[in-house]
Amino acid sequence: MSVTAVEPSATRPRFTERRSTRRAVLIWSFLAPSLLIFLLYRILPLGWNVLLSFEAWSPLKPAVFIGLDNYQEMLSDDDVFWQALWNTLGIIASAPVGIVIALGLALLVNSNIRGRDVYRTVIFLSYPLMTVAVAIIWRWMFDERVGLINYVIRSLHLADQPIPFLNSFTWALPCVIAANVWQMLGFYMIIILTGLQTIPGNLYEAAEIDGANSFRRFLRITLPMLRPSLFLCFVIGMLNSVTSFDLVYVMTNGGPGHATEILVTYIYKLAFNQTRFDYAAAITVVFFLLLLAVTWVANRLSGGDVGAVEHN
Amino acid sequence: MVRHQRSWPIHLALLIVCLVMLVPFYWVLKTSISGENIFSYPPNIIPRAPHPFYYVDVWYAIPFARYFLNSVVVSVLTIVANVVLNAMAGYSLTQSFPGKRVVLMLFLSCMMIPFQATIIPAYLITGKLGLLDSYLGLALPMFSTIICIFVFKASFDAVPRSLIDAARVDGLSEGRIIWKVMMPLAKSAVATNVILSFIWSWNNFMWPLIATRSQDMQTLPLGLARFISYQEDTTGALYAFCIMVLAPGILLFLLAQKEFVQGLTTGATKG
Amino acid sequence: MDRRKLLKTGLAAAGTLATPAYLRAQSNKKLSILTWNIADQEALFKEEFEEFKKANPGVEIEWLDKKGPDLPAFYQTQLVAGTAPDVIDIQGALWVEWAANGALLDLTPYFQNDPAFVKMFNPDYMSSFVYDRKNYLVPFYVAKTLLYYNKTMFKEAGLSAPPKSFDELLAFSQAMAKGEKTGFLTLNFDWLYWPLMKMNSIELLTPDYKKPAFNTTAAAELLDRLAKSTASGAINKIAWTGRWVEPNGAFASGTVGMMQAHSASYFFVKGQGRWINPDTLGAAQAPGDWSTPTNHGFGVSKSSKNPELAFALVKHMTSVKWATRLAQIRRVLTANIEADKAGLDSVKADDPLAYAVLQTQLEHTDKMTGNWPLANDAQIKEAFWPEFQNAVLGRKDGKTALADAERAVMRVLRRS
Repeated sequence: MSVTAVEPSATRPRFTERRSTRRAVLIWSFLAPSLLIFLLYRILPLGWNVLLSFEAWSPLKPAVFIGLDNYQEMLSDDDVFWQALWNTLGIIASAPVGIVIALGLALLVNSNIRGRDVYRTVIFLSYPLMTVAVAIIWRWMFDERVGLINYVIRSLHLADQPIPFLNSFTWALPCVIAANVWQMLGFYMIIILTGLQTIPGNLYEAAEIDGANSFRRFLRITLPMLRPSLFLCFVIGMLNSVTSFDLVYVMTNGGPGHATEILVTYIYKLAFNQTRFDYAAAITVVFFLLLLAVTWVANRLSGGDVGAVEHN
Repeated sequence: MVRHQRSWPIHLALLIVCLVMLVPFYWVLKTSISGENIFSYPPNIIPRAPHPFYYVDVWYAIPFARYFLNSVVVSVLTIVANVVLNAMAGYSLTQSFPGKRVVLMLFLSCMMIPFQATIIPAYLITGKLGLLDSYLGLALPMFSTIICIFVFKASFDAVPRSLIDAARVDGLSEGRIIWKVMMPLAKSAVATNVILSFIWSWNNFMWPLIATRSQDMQTLPLGLARFISYQEDTTGALYAFCIMVLAPGILLFLLAQKEFVQGLTTGATKG
Repeated sequence: MDRRKLLKTGLAAAGTLATPAYLRAQSNKKLSILTWNIADQEALFKEEFEEFKKANPGVEIEWLDKKGPDLPAFYQTQLVAGTAPDVIDIQGALWVEWAANGALLDLTPYFQNDPAFVKMFNPDYMSSFVYDRKNYLVPFYVAKTLLYYNKTMFKEAGLSAPPKSFDELLAFSQAMAKGEKTGFLTLNFDWLYWPLMKMNSIELLTPDYKKPAFNTTAAAELLDRLAKSTASGAINKIAWTGRWVEPNGAFASGTVGMMQAHSASYFFVKGQGRWINPDTLGAAQAPGDWSTPTNHGFGVSKSSKNPELAFALVKHMTSVKWATRLAQIRRVLTANIEADKAGLDSVKADDPLAYAVLQTQLEHTDKMTGNWPLANDAQIKEAFWPEFQNAVLGRKDGKTALADAERAVMRVLRRS
């Protein structure tokens, strides 16, 4: 019996144990910088908002704990909140419109036509433009008196009175959504386009042999395989449009009335115009929960746990 | 199998769409060189007497060169940090480790916090770090973005296991595996990250507004206020300014186009 | 070896990048001044600051200017962080809120020490900066609403002079409304539309500012009349839905008979409307001579480390010399009596119409309304305006709208 004899079975567990802890530590250290940034600039601010939502506070005065009063006011006493919530939901529900258009565009650009690179570039051009610039130009285009769209409509004799797009309680929000879709279309299209390009061609060929027409091929092959892209599009699109503060603020400032007020602009106005940081914090918390809920639902609808979250 | 497609309906549809996408641009461009007050009616399609002097106005009305430099420094900082941090985080997510689900959930929920609600805490935190009114402070909140982490993750997922295993057998450390094996194959993810983080950082308006005080630390978008400030009279100079701010983003996209498109691929179809 | 050097240079670079720019500048005393949307006067201010620095050696002045919508966000963040600028230029009623919250320095002791300084200013404008019997602001530049009228449209409708009563206002509007032309519009931000209410004796709150006073039958009737006029085109809808560009732009296009706006509108409209000259545009007081002021004043932050110096800067910038320069260059009134006289004289020769407009700003300063010192002014506006809008746009009848507004305003008042 040699003392120095090493028994493999005894040492291997320890070796792999040490190795796997080392690996875990290494992996966590890779995650650490990003986590730190998110902690500092997302999680801590969220925590600040959560705490503040249960207090009454104004700058330079000490905070007073008031429990659920802010939430109570929001839910029972605040018409603007419900209007803003409704508008926000409307925007979320309209994200699919942009995605469907982008899907159509992606299908067109994906076909073997000449100059698809050019089309792709032109359609993407709107994304790098500053949102404030997008808002300014679209505000002009929809202007009742001097706007391009009214000019075209009246030149084509589709209406004899100019349509007050941005001053109308019914048209204002769709106009803002239209501007948002214009800005994001190229971005969505590219996500979907690249999803399309990874679908193996032989799947289509096999289906064609089986006698499926293009519509069935689209329904049975394209759509299912695009689900992850579409989910990603939806999440990004929803987040972008719902937080498009600059667009709403410059285009309509939430008006007329509160017809285009969204939760993000309401939060900002409460905090900085009305100095009600505490109440704004409560709305932030509700907004955050709303987005989580919508993302969860979208995740379910697109087949559960695709795109972002992975089964272990 | 060659399918006989009539391509002209497709071209027609695409041309119409391109027209719709370009019309607002055309108007921005036209007003920037003709200064025809866009509140005159009926609107002219062809600019009368175009001249480039609005661009000159922009250059002199604000310290354009300085703002441009600031934007460039902040954007470069952001891009470099983004690529490094997101690649590392993306790689981690391809490995299994205790607490992975929690981290994934955390990342997803971080996307749901709108910036407007974080202005004051972000300012206070940056202040505590002593980074206000500095390049690092301007870039720090955008050092890592979740969308790009997932793009990297998906890109790394697509690297064949055989290559990674071979590298492990060769005794390479995790860091070197990322650097030598995975990054070269994830060029498209890098391109995607570069373009997106550039666009987000370059166009960022609210954070530089709050986080800077001295005139010579302001970034380009803050110059916008100068052109729509007093009396909100939008003129050719405003539009010239918008074009000048837009140009670098488009340039970057054109240069990195091919890679960018491929990059978003792998982010989309992993399931 | 290599890696270490790289790390060192990296850290050094990071250090430089991280050092806040304003710390790098060395100075003995630093004053920061925040102005509201007046970046176009850069040259003038630079001169003013130079002169001040010469008289006060060792002082550095940091000048910040923010656009209207951005300033509150910027200022409040600075406030929370404890680094509020020493001197602030505030527009409208925001100052009351900040004064009530203890952000502004009470200037009464400074005024009491310097009665000659106080005498330089128009007392009515001065008194509009008092809250809780304390003085908080020094006038920087002031304006109040007046009635612009399109003389050509008046002539076409057979009208010779601007309306002298509210009924005439509505009647004249109706007479001029034809096709695309409308009779009247008003600016509606802050409380600029309130003269319409005041000329009908409608008050917003009780004199002690504790309860709403607008929910009366008379007010409901007034709202219904306004709604009717809006629906018939006598009053342009933009009056209730526009911000700044739309209403001014509409009037500038020459299709609106009258506009109630402050003096700044004149310059905007003149830039866009080529038809404007003394024969085609008139400036008059609104019926009853009622007007709403929209003023800019300088305040000093309570957290200022150099309050005396800050106040000295305020005195410097509102002195006769510099106020006159501002009045002449920017064609505004400063409430500094001598400066305004000089300013008006210089305008009289160049632009008789601008002179007429600015002249109205000095008349009837005892009949200003819409400038109540309310600490939660923004919230009350938010509670009242949407309902007012609903009524005049015909979405609700006057009675219901006022009742809803009263409830909302009560809630705000209860909270304070």
